[in-house]
Amino acid sequence: MDEMDNTMIGRGRDAIEMIVDEGTFVENKVGDADFDPEYGPGSVVGTAKLEGTTCTVIANDAYAFNERFPVVFGGVIGLEEGYKMATAVYRSMEADADKPLAEKRPLILIVDTPGNGPGKMEEIAGMNKSTGGYQLALAEARKAGHPVIAMVIGRAISGAFLCHGLQADHILALSKDFGTMIHVMPITSISRITKMDIERLEELSKVNPVFAPGVDFFYNLGGVQEIVNKVEDMRPVIAKHVKEVAALKAAGEYEKLGPWGRGLLGDERGGRVNRLKAIAKMNEEFAAVADKYLNA
Amino acid sequence: MRSWNELETGSFFDANARERAVGMVDKGSFTELLGPLDRFMSPHLPVLGTAVEFDDGTVTGVGLIGKHPVFVISMEGKFIGGAIGEVNGAKMVGSIRLALKTAEELKAAHPDDYEERRPMVVISFETGGVRLHEANAGLLAHAEVMDAFQDCRKKLPVVSVVGSKVGCFGGMGFVAAATDVIIMNEQGRIGLTGPEVIEQEMGKEEFDASNKALVYRTTGAKHKYIIGDCNYLVEDKIGAFHAALADVAAKSMEEIEGMRRIGSLKLVQEQQGLVKLVGDMQPKDSMDLWKYYGNEDPAELPEMTTEEFLKVVKRRVRP
Repeated sequence: MDEMDNTMIGRGRDAIEMIVDEGTFVENKVGDADFDPEYGPGSVVGTAKLEGTTCTVIANDAYAFNERFPVVFGGVIGLEEGYKMATAVYRSMEADADKPLAEKRPLILIVDTPGNGPGKMEEIAGMNKSTGGYQLALAEARKAGHPVIAMVIGRAISGAFLCHGLQADHILALSKDFGTMIHVMPITSISRITKMDIERLEELSKVNPVFAPGVDFFYNLGGVQEIVNKVEDMRPVIAKHVKEVAALKAAGEYEKLGPWGRGLLGDERGGRVNRLKAIAKMNEEFAAVADKYLNA
Repeated sequence: MRSWNELETGSFFDANARERAVGMVDKGSFTELLGPLDRFMSPHLPVLGTAVEFDDGTVTGVGLIGKHPVFVISMEGKFIGGAIGEVNGAKMVGSIRLALKTAEELKAAHPDDYEERRPMVVISFETGGVRLHEANAGLLAHAEVMDAFQDCRKKLPVVSVVGSKVGCFGGMGFVAAATDVIIMNEQGRIGLTGPEVIEQEMGKEEFDASNKALVYRTTGAKHKYIIGDCNYLVEDKIGAFHAALADVAAKSMEEIEGMRRIGSLKLVQEQQGLVKLVGDMQPKDSMDLWKYYGNEDPAELPEMTTEEFLKVVKRRVRP
């Protein structure tokens, strides 16, 4: 397959149309709240229906440029974008605050972002709060019962993936045939910063899921729940995961979902087998001394 | 290792991760969990021909402040820049989950005086974020920590302590921002994008990463204190951090929730006010903002001692 013909990189808005029920997406509206169309143009928020169910959609716009914060282009999540995305999450919770668990609207995150805003003004205002604020909002919505599904269609890079994606219940990704990129850094940068030999790194990157870029490696580590092989499958697969997640929430099985659930999956798939052992050993060591701290 | 009494009066900045962990809690109360004797090391570093540490560069354990069990996570910047991989990431998450479990047990065992026994999580950050040698596992661990923080909300305080050489950058920059309370000494720095990367993105004329004063003005504790991101600015003594932690431990969860900068729609709206100000002002330097908040001679602030600074500084007033 020629990936340049098939890639969804830069096509966040197209992806929304491919995923939701035809003609249902209303941008800049979540519940009763309206969003200023000029604000945080690098992110797209709104409401749509997926197989008849009202959901919130949050995506990146790779063609928007933020005039106030010029580091924001190509899908970068800047200060305004992060807070806009967080607001869409809080407004979703607000809209369904009085509804029973089964009626908490799903949040669909369409992920194609190369990074968080890397500028001086961003650091002066505190870009860490914008990206962190969005993550806390997503974690709260997930724990409040909203199914949160992330669909990686293009770039899911490092901190921007943590911001927009890694707090979801389930993460799905288009296969590598679409040029989908999930990583912290390309091998060339890893080599430059760690001063490790690039040829050795490239050799190792073919087999080592723990540091090398790639959708399949993230699958192995539990970071991706399911790989989607055709663009037309995005819609039914997302709908399927919404149902699965909702069923687990109805059963109170929150620990099987989200970042902790991905840890369990990484253990199951053999990609991350040390973390649970480390945690178990810590628990055992604390149990041996707990009395001193519980009855101080 | 130096005695606890020596640690209390010693510099926080110069202390290693274990000294900080021991000195931030009450005398003789610290028990290390998954310490170096366990030799629970990163299995991923040898594959890349990199040396390991027996504690994977992060000290975890439990101590007491009064009757409060304090779960301490303390990062060592001398080991791969304090970066987070699978094992030390798991140590972080494991500590937070232990604190949550302990809170439940204490509530059941001591319903009458639970408040004075309420556990606390303290993280001494010295890190650039993800450890590139095991980047994918490190990235996933960051998300687990954020998730565990949300579980702690309104139940027990999670406190960031930042005042070591490496500062707190990359993904750990937003992890610190997501905690309830931030304590820093003057040398402490918190940010998302490190100075070198900003220079690379924007050019040396816009941001010169070798200009240490500029770097401190942009991400340093005094700036964070002025804009309200740092709750306690303390002297560079481990004992001063210990005292600030004792102050936090004595507060109600409601007061602690009031010290946050993100974590609700109201706080997001407050931060959007700051972003609007910065967007309108287009500051060339943090000092533009310091002046806006009423500091007539912003250039004098970096020169002052912590004590002098705290006497005269004007901070962002929360709406």
